[in-house]
Amino acid sequence: MGLWTLLKSGLILDIYFFKNNRAQLVSMFAWPYILLVLMLGMGFLFGSAETFKSNVGVEADPVVFFVASTLIAMASMSVMWEVGGTVLFHRWTGTLPYMLIAPYRISVTLVMSYIPRYLLWSFMQLAEFVPVLIWREGLVGGLADALVMGLAIVIGMLPLLGFAAIFGSFLLTIKEETNVLSWLNPIVLILSGAFYPAYLFPLWARFLSMILPTTYTFELARISSLLGAPKLAEMTFLIAVLLGMSIFYNALSFTLMGKAEKKALKSGAV
Amino acid sequence: MKEEVVTVENLRKSYETYLRRGLFARERKIVEALKGVSFRIYRGEVFGLLGPNGAGKTTTVKILSTLLLPDSGVATVLGYDVVKEAVEVRRRIGVSLTVEKGFFWKLTGRENLMYFGMLYGLDGPELKQRVQRMLELVGLEELGSSDKLYEEYSLGMKARLSIARALLTDPELLILDEPTLGLDPPSARLLRELLIRVAHEEGKTVLITTHNMFEAEIVCDRLAIINKGTIVAMDTVDGLKRLVSEDITLEMLVVLPAKVSLKQLREEISEVVSGRVEVDPTEEGTRIRVVMKPSEKEQATQEMLRKLHSMGCSVRRIEVKEPTLEDVFIELTGGK
Repeated sequence: MGLWTLLKSGLILDIYFFKNNRAQLVSMFAWPYILLVLMLGMGFLFGSAETFKSNVGVEADPVVFFVASTLIAMASMSVMWEVGGTVLFHRWTGTLPYMLIAPYRISVTLVMSYIPRYLLWSFMQLAEFVPVLIWREGLVGGLADALVMGLAIVIGMLPLLGFAAIFGSFLLTIKEETNVLSWLNPIVLILSGAFYPAYLFPLWARFLSMILPTTYTFELARISSLLGAPKLAEMTFLIAVLLGMSIFYNALSFTLMGKAEKKALKSGAV
Repeated sequence: MKEEVVTVENLRKSYETYLRRGLFARERKIVEALKGVSFRIYRGEVFGLLGPNGAGKTTTVKILSTLLLPDSGVATVLGYDVVKEAVEVRRRIGVSLTVEKGFFWKLTGRENLMYFGMLYGLDGPELKQRVQRMLELVGLEELGSSDKLYEEYSLGMKARLSIARALLTDPELLILDEPTLGLDPPSARLLRELLIRVAHEEGKTVLITTHNMFEAEIVCDRLAIINKGTIVAMDTVDGLKRLVSEDITLEMLVVLPAKVSLKQLREEISEVVSGRVEVDPTEEGTRIRVVMKPSEKEQATQEMLRKLHSMGCSVRRIEVKEPTLEDVFIELTGGK
C-alpha cells in the first residue's frame, strides 16, 4: 500500500476508459495530427518554408518545430486541464467524495492519481509522431528528437503539476461548477510563447511569461527541435529553471492546497 | 465492556448559505445543521440515525467520513480524531453516501471496484479476490452483472455496488447514508440482510441513516432520532417505543361456550394478568383487551391461553398492539 498503488490506480482507470471507449482512443491519436496540420497549414499560407521560418522566428525544420510545439502544448494543456479539472470531473460523476476518502492527503490523491494518465497520454502521442520525426530528421536524428521531447514532457510536467494544483484547489473550494481553466488555459499558452515569441510581448506580459513554467517548457521544445545544432548549455539552463520552478510551485501548491482543502471541508463544498 | 467504535461529543456545525435576491444581490443566511450532537456506537452494532429531511443526518455522516469539518465538538472513529487524524480514520471506514451515482459510467462494476480498491491501497491478487468476493456477496455475480457497464445498471444494482465498495477494504466501520433509498423490495431486503450479517456475524460496526421506519426497526440495534440538529432520543427500538407509551395492548377474539358468561370470563382472565381487562361482545365473537407492561407480554399471553383453553373457549385471533416506531418518530419530531 502507498503511493505506488495510488499511481497505479490512475493508470488502470485510463486503461479501462480506453478499453470501453474506442472512440476516445481514436480521437486521442487523431487530435495531435489535426492540430499539427492546422498549425503548419496556417504557417505555410504566409509563404514558402523560408518565409515561414523567418515569420515564426525559428531556424529549425518547421514540421519538427511544430511537432515539438504540438506535443508540449498538448501536454501542458493536459496537465493544466486535468489536474485542475479533475475536481470538476469527479464532482460531475459523483465520485469526488469517494476519491477524497482515499487514505492520503486530498491534494496527494488528486495530483498523484493523475500523473500516470499524463505520462501515458503524452508518451502515446510522442510515439505517434516518431515516424514524422524520422521522416524529417533521419533515424538517429528523429529518435534523438523524440528522446529530448520526452525529456521535455517529463521535466515540463513537474512545475505544471504544482501550478495546476493551485487552480484545482481553487475549484475545490467553490461550489459553482465553472471550470476557470477553460479560459485560463489559452491565456497561459499565449503568454508562454506557444504562438508568438515572448520577446514581442509588452513588458507586463513578458514579466508574466517569465514566471510561467510553460514558457520554459516551450523554449525547451523549441531547442529540442534544433537538435541538428544542439545548444546543450541552453538546454541545461532551461532544465535547471524548470526543476527550480518545480520546487517553488509544488511547495506553494502544497501549502495552498492544504488551506483550500480545509476551506472546502469547512464549507461543505465536497 | 463494550468497545466504543464511534464517539461523538457535542458536535456543532453551521453552514453559510445565500438566498438569491435578484440577479446580483444575495442574502447571507446561517443554517445550524448540528446543535451539539453526542452519541456513541459500539463494536458489532447497527446504529441508526433516524430523522426528517434537514435534520442533520447527512452532516453527521459527512463529518464522520472526514468529508466535512465540524465547527466544534469532537468525533473519533476507533480512537482517531476525524479532524486531526483524518487519514487514519479513512483507512478504517467504508462509506456509501448516495446509491444512484459515485461510479464511472463507462466502466463495468468489476472495473469500478478494481479502481477504487487500488485507490484505497489494495493491490495484486488480494485486490482481485476482494473484488470477486464483494461482487458475490452483494449478489451482482449471481445476477450476471459484474462485467456490465455501470451505465446499464438498475438502481438496485448501483446500490449493491455501492455497498460492495464500502466493504471492499474490509473496514471496521461502515457509514451508509440512506442505502436503500428508492430500491425495489428484493434489493432493499438483500441489503438489509447483508448489513445485519456483517454486523452480527463479522463484528463490523454499521452507522446507517434512514427515513424508513420499517428498515430502522428491522436493521438497527439502537437508534438515535435526530431533529433540527439535535438528538431527541436514543435507545433500542423497544426502548424508544416505551417513551411514547409504557403499555401494550393484547387483544384476543374468542368464541365462548354457552355456559361461560362475560362477567365470569373477565374475572377468570383478571386472575392471571395484572393489567386492566375489558371484555366486549362483537358480531364475530367476544373481544378481550388487556393493557399490560411489555415485560409481561410473553407470560400473560401463555397464562391467558391456558385459562381460555380450560374454560372451553376457542381463540380466533390474537393481536398485540404497541406503539410503532412511526408513532415515536412523529411524537418526538413534532411531525404530522
